[in-house]
Amino acid sequence: MSNVRRSELSTATSATGELVATAVLGAAFLAFVASWLLIFQWVDETAVYVGIRVLDLLGGVLVVLGVGVAGVGVGSRLGYVDTTPSATAGATVGVVFGLLWAVLGGVLGTLVLGNAVLAWLPVAVVFGGLGLLASVLPREDVGSTVPVAVVLGLLGAAIGVGGLDAGWTWAPAWSSAVFPGSELVPLLVVFGSLLGAWSAAKARAGFGATGRQAGAFYLVRTMVFGMLGVLALLVGFIVVNGVDTMLTGAGLGGHLAVPVVGVTLPWVEFPFLLNDTGGLFVEIPGVLPAVVGTLWLVFGAVLFAVPLGVGTAVFLTEYAERERVTQIVEVATNGLWSTPSIVFGLFGLAFLVPRISGGNSIFVGQLVLGFMLLPLVLITSREAILAVPDDHRGASAALGVTKWETIRSVVVPAAMPGTITGVILGVGRIAGETAPLLLVFGGAPYPNSTPDVIGAFEFSAQPPFVTNDVLLSPASALPYQLYSTITAGVFPKDVFTNAEFGWGTALVLLLVVVGLYAVGVASRLYFRRRLHQ
Amino acid sequence: MSNTQTNHGPTQHAQPSTTSGETAEDVREEWTEYGFEGDAKLSVEDLNVHYGDDHALRDIAIDVPEESVTALIGPSGCGKSTFLRCLNRMNDRIDSARVEGSVELDGQELYDSDVNLVELRKRVGMVFQAPNPFPKSIRDNIAYGPRKHGDMDTGLVARLLGRDDSDAEAELVERSLRQAALWAEVSDRLGDNALGLSGGQQQRLCIARCLAVDPEVILMDEPASALDPIATAKIEDLIEELAEEYTVVIVTHNMQQAARISDQTAVFLTGGELVEYGETDQIFEHPQSQRVEDYITGKFG
Repeated sequence: MSNVRRSELSTATSATGELVATAVLGAAFLAFVASWLLIFQWVDETAVYVGIRVLDLLGGVLVVLGVGVAGVGVGSRLGYVDTTPSATAGATVGVVFGLLWAVLGGVLGTLVLGNAVLAWLPVAVVFGGLGLLASVLPREDVGSTVPVAVVLGLLGAAIGVGGLDAGWTWAPAWSSAVFPGSELVPLLVVFGSLLGAWSAAKARAGFGATGRQAGAFYLVRTMVFGMLGVLALLVGFIVVNGVDTMLTGAGLGGHLAVPVVGVTLPWVEFPFLLNDTGGLFVEIPGVLPAVVGTLWLVFGAVLFAVPLGVGTAVFLTEYAERERVTQIVEVATNGLWSTPSIVFGLFGLAFLVPRISGGNSIFVGQLVLGFMLLPLVLITSREAILAVPDDHRGASAALGVTKWETIRSVVVPAAMPGTITGVILGVGRIAGETAPLLLVFGGAPYPNSTPDVIGAFEFSAQPPFVTNDVLLSPASALPYQLYSTITAGVFPKDVFTNAEFGWGTALVLLLVVVGLYAVGVASRLYFRRRLHQ
Repeated sequence: MSNTQTNHGPTQHAQPSTTSGETAEDVREEWTEYGFEGDAKLSVEDLNVHYGDDHALRDIAIDVPEESVTALIGPSGCGKSTFLRCLNRMNDRIDSARVEGSVELDGQELYDSDVNLVELRKRVGMVFQAPNPFPKSIRDNIAYGPRKHGDMDTGLVARLLGRDDSDAEAELVERSLRQAALWAEVSDRLGDNALGLSGGQQQRLCIARCLAVDPEVILMDEPASALDPIATAKIEDLIEELAEEYTVVIVTHNMQQAARISDQTAVFLTGGELVEYGETDQIFEHPQSQRVEDYITGKFG
């Protein structure tokens, strides 16, 4: 007789088992969402639904989850539910449940026997051992459901009928911190519902290899949705708080006077985007100076960092022969990229400001942000150039084309999408940078004019031939504007409070960064298309 | 033909060397001598190549006649690709490679320090084992060499100055693609990216790209090894046609291929030695060396 165990070809899952497992999954999901709503205090923890307090309700759900998974597991073991379980749930699951049960035992021991280490430690060890054995020894269907059910049942009972409720606090002896039950209990429910859902996902796929995969995918998916949820929460919060400010006075009632023809056309009105911040006659203060300032900063920094970064990357990859030199430069660049931005700002303040403008200025801001952008551009273009197949270089050399021509017309174009990815990432960082701007860039907190950099160029017959006063004067940028608005005492106009204006600025900053991303992604697509179509 | 393999005289022939296995025999001078009419296009003397401590080629001496196909065959790692790359100094790109000896193209030494690599590689083109078109359009791939050499100027400045070579370039692209038997398949999509072509088409594009520079010698490093039989047959026909105008040197693992398309064959065996060189029929039907016979009949790889 062969010792290879064969199961049915089709993954056997009976309708009842699947139904119960699906119901458990749904209940777990609802409990998960409800707990987060409680944690964020969108639902009051003293709320009462169907005559039951909300926390008791959640405790009850946990007990139901436990009963559900245990039911499917035991039903499968006894043959009432068709599944294809492995012989054991495996060592990893065993260790995890051992630790879980040990914690459970520790808590129970403390409650019953008191706080002494000698009292609760043996209980914890015994429980841990039991948990390990309970999940490893029985067949997988029991091993990965019953230990879960025990944890869920105890937890649910403690929340539902025991002392764990909103008013309860945990003040551990080893710390002066006090954990309020209104936050701790929903967190425990989040944890319990994840555990129950993992077990139910396994059960629904009939245990075995497919079951383990289903369980793992469930956890991964939860993490992904959790991350997306955090992102959505963040963006949503800013939008909700800032949208009213941003749309103040906006409408389609504006007029655009076409200069030469002398006709007036209907135009959009968007005072928050198109007005100056300060000034006597501005009714609705806006952030136009800050938007323009940010765009000039980003433009200057990119103009400075991209040629320098790509050039250095080309040199390091194509020309530098000494491995050691390359390594040193690499370490230095990585270090530069992780240097806190305030250090760059300090350098700009101490070194650049006295030599270039004698005070805060757009130009120094551009240079400092350029320094910050440089390492990332260098790192990403180096990676991109290294990824260009050596075949291309060989093919070009074999055609009698010089190394420089090869770099110019084959290597750099092929590396362009990667470089642009780096620039996009870097621009996202520097567009929102505040600390160095405080030191080298920012001027009046409520500027009453928009920097006109292009119009300020003046040419003369004597050195330095070109001068630009605006470039050498301070200005405002969105993050700087946000900072100075928040820290200022009183907003000069009655239209907004400081907080309202700040939220509006934050939303515009978010939109500007998204807009810069869009430009970057579009140019990356353009270069990639040129390479592949 | 002077040869430094004097210590490998016939007297030592009977004594089997213990270092290279049971069938080892020393290379004899007359096996590698191949008389043909006319001057040699390429003439190699005393060529030794080292990669670090590894002696990849030993005392190679060989003359390649003009407008013919010369096949280089031998087991993997015997140095035939290394030899091929010596002929247009592509080994210069490998830091650890050290080349000693002499390679002459039309009587001109290639390893002199004043040789212009750009000019050399324009005259001695190369087609690689894996098709390696640039990620550019088919037209840009073909015109790449001539444009970079300044032969074709289609840039904005040239157009403004009325020195636009667009017509000449279109002609060159068509001629090269026709020579590489690819014109019929791609004439309506010259602007498409070359990476969208099939493997066989890509390889013929690489041959066309090489022809566009108008070389005298074309080196091919197993050009058909990555291709299916139909694409291989097309490449083989192409090589035979090219031999009417160009001197082709081709490395191949496929002995039938060598027998089909080449005029003369050089057999390299393990250790970087050129063991036998002569007319292809002669090599395949009456090899003089026992080792070559074993290799050709498949007793020894």
